Amino acid sequence: MKRILALILCVLMLAALIAGCSGKDGGGSTPANPGSSDSGSNGGSNGGSKPAAEKVLNFGLEAFSDGLINPMNQTNTAWNCMRYGVGECLFKFSDSMVPEPWLAESVSSNDDFTVWTITLRDGIKFSNGDALTAGKVKEAFEWIRTEGPNGTASPQKYLPYEAEIAADDAARTITITLPKADNNLPGKLAYPAMEILNVSATTDFDYHAIGTGPYMVKEAKPRVGYTMVKNPYYYADVPYDTVNIVFLGLEAKASALQAGQVDLVENVSIPSNIALIQADSNLTYDSAPGVRTAFSWMNMMEGRPLNDKVLRQAILMAIDNETISKSNTIGGMYKAGFSVLPSNLDFGYNNLNNPYKYDLEAAKKLLTDNGYTYDGDKLMKDGAQVTLVYYSYDGRLLNEMTESHELYLNALGIKVELKESTSGDCWDQMGAGNFDLCNNNWTTVGTGDPTEYMYNWYSTAGDAINFSRYSNPEYDKLYDEYTSNFDTAARKEIMQKMQQILIDDAVAIIDGYWSSSFAYNNKTVGEAHIHTADYYWLSSEIKPAA
Amino acid sequence: MEKKKNKFLSNKVFVIFGILAILICLVAVFAPQICGDVDPTAGNLAEAIMAPSAAHRFGTDKMGRDIFARVVYGSRSSLSGTLILVAVILVVGTILGIISGYFGGWVDAVIMRIADMMIAFPGLVLAIAVAGILGPSMRNAVIAISLVSWPKYARLARSLVMKIRHTDFVAAAQVTGSKTGYMLWKYMLPNTITTLVITAATDIGSMMMELAALSFLGFGAQPPTPEWGKMLNDGRTLIQTAPWTMIYPGLAIFITVVVFNMLGDALRDILDPKTE
Repeated sequence: MKRILALILCVLMLAALIAGCSGKDGGGSTPANPGSSDSGSNGGSNGGSKPAAEKVLNFGLEAFSDGLINPMNQTNTAWNCMRYGVGECLFKFSDSMVPEPWLAESVSSNDDFTVWTITLRDGIKFSNGDALTAGKVKEAFEWIRTEGPNGTASPQKYLPYEAEIAADDAARTITITLPKADNNLPGKLAYPAMEILNVSATTDFDYHAIGTGPYMVKEAKPRVGYTMVKNPYYYADVPYDTVNIVFLGLEAKASALQAGQVDLVENVSIPSNIALIQADSNLTYDSAPGVRTAFSWMNMMEGRPLNDKVLRQAILMAIDNETISKSNTIGGMYKAGFSVLPSNLDFGYNNLNNPYKYDLEAAKKLLTDNGYTYDGDKLMKDGAQVTLVYYSYDGRLLNEMTESHELYLNALGIKVELKESTSGDCWDQMGAGNFDLCNNNWTTVGTGDPTEYMYNWYSTAGDAINFSRYSNPEYDKLYDEYTSNFDTAARKEIMQKMQQILIDDAVAIIDGYWSSSFAYNNKTVGEAHIHTADYYWLSSEIKPAA
Repeated sequence: MEKKKNKFLSNKVFVIFGILAILICLVAVFAPQICGDVDPTAGNLAEAIMAPSAAHRFGTDKMGRDIFARVVYGSRSSLSGTLILVAVILVVGTILGIISGYFGGWVDAVIMRIADMMIAFPGLVLAIAVAGILGPSMRNAVIAISLVSWPKYARLARSLVMKIRHTDFVAAAQVTGSKTGYMLWKYMLPNTITTLVITAATDIGSMMMELAALSFLGFGAQPPTPEWGKMLNDGRTLIQTAPWTMIYPGLAIFITVVVFNMLGDALRDILDPKTE
């Protein structure tokens, strides 16, 4: 009896503990993570301790690469610098991924796209008060050239180290002479690694880079967040005096927003959390079709099951992407599609033909007509059940997508050896060729153009890029044509043909096209819009509620 | 023998929780009969995350799989994994402990220093590291927890052996020509096994929790295998909107752990010489 009483007591204590933790308004409520406690101490939207005149935004976001902002450290850190409202580029992507002048006023090139002249906007200043001059831009590019090799941001992909740069302060022009023609230089200079920082004035690039963005770092709290303050020299109105950037885990973002610990969060990517946010009249959910495609690489290496095109085709016919993307599990976070490039981009998606629409029985027939047999429900080839090693990792619902695919593959009679691993392990396995399928989520037009992304299927790109070991001379020829042809209409047509070849050859299972999102408390935030390009988070466009 | 039987049957707690433990085992054995033709691994995305209903008594999970069937079938992997784990650490720990206590000297020093190394780290953390190296699977989770759990049994067996190692009846057996193997089997083991079995019985619950914890963290059973710890993790992100995805596997773990803990406690009460 004593034991039973002790058990009941324990259960009651546990219940009391849980009840205590879940209180929203209690003075002792626990923040979602250490960052939240900082946010709370700064007053935030809920605290009444700040003077009424001061406008404060608490922004919960996921920290990539520990939240460092040195653009030459890693790709993530370059993105951070822009996402936190510190750095800006000469150009910026519109929501249709067209590069438009940002710090630049205008741009022109010679006929063969080897010499580009960029005129800077007048009156731009860095957050320390120094004027943005042509000389400063040249200085920034030279710093990129010096520091690029020390990190993994690979800035030479956007501006070759061999490029010659001339600055004319009086005319506010930068002249860039490229070693090789490139008609997309503005797109490349819009990439976050090309942020223009005041490199001669910055002493701590990791945490206190000086840029031209609307906000500047007042205090960096490693692995916790940043306290940002208004850039007093910004060329437009900056709505907030202070922005507390709070690093939150993927699952904590929605909870922190619901609990009022933050005012705004980016990319809530758990469908059930999105449903809660959408059901709450105090919260607003804003999403935009992004430029990311999630897809499973198919390993066509000699000797692997997916070397057989028929099997690949049957797999595509056996997976019902529409049902998956609309399921409660995916919750519309992915828009179903069948090409490697997102349907919202202007590369002729609507003119493409999908010969592998969902039809399980047709898939089975295709297989049995081509040497496969069934032993009960099992798909057999050469006396053994067809078995595929399928890698995936946690993030952007990839594991959920992969498990969904497994259901459909099982229905086709294929045994799946599921390996839910880390992204790093997935890359290693793909490089080594130890996989049949591997699910990934890729940015397709990071520079407004898919050249780099489509290189993944170029036959001689190497096993570290062409993970599928795919080879089609016709595709290679079109790719070469695409990279040397600078006529916009012709390029679109070539890109459309390239996509169709990849579709016809069944090179990948397309999960769908990922949407980016903001969610915010509409009592404290009046306006916040997520952009198609995933680089622009904290900006002067985010405004407090009236 | 008759007296012993009465001792077991006269302990109400043992009888009640013994019956419950048998019931749990029967659920595992007769899972296909209980669930009918419902396949715990077969899902339907169109029915994902559905609340409990007549069609799905415990609702469905994120893949549209029937949670009732998964909980019932989950008892197979959870129970078998736990029992194998406890058996492994009992056998390995006991053998090493008896050898260590009986021979002493450098043998004792080597075995005990290895045991000390294992104990020096928090058990679950070391198990996570081992499982991480071996790769995620139920088998590797059992291996990982076994590697960090045997020292407890080895130290216990060693101390029990050392208590009797220099007693007169042991010396007499040696003088009369008993060989080492015979000494270990006939004298050392019988004097330790009762305490070790009691310890193993009381450990079933905690071992089940550890296995579930590893699966929860992604180092144990892999999808679509139904396993309670893994099911808890799968339902974690849905706790606000679809709590049934966590409640039922959580209850299954809770009930099973309580039953086996209470059974172990009752067994200890019956067999522990101190209570005689």
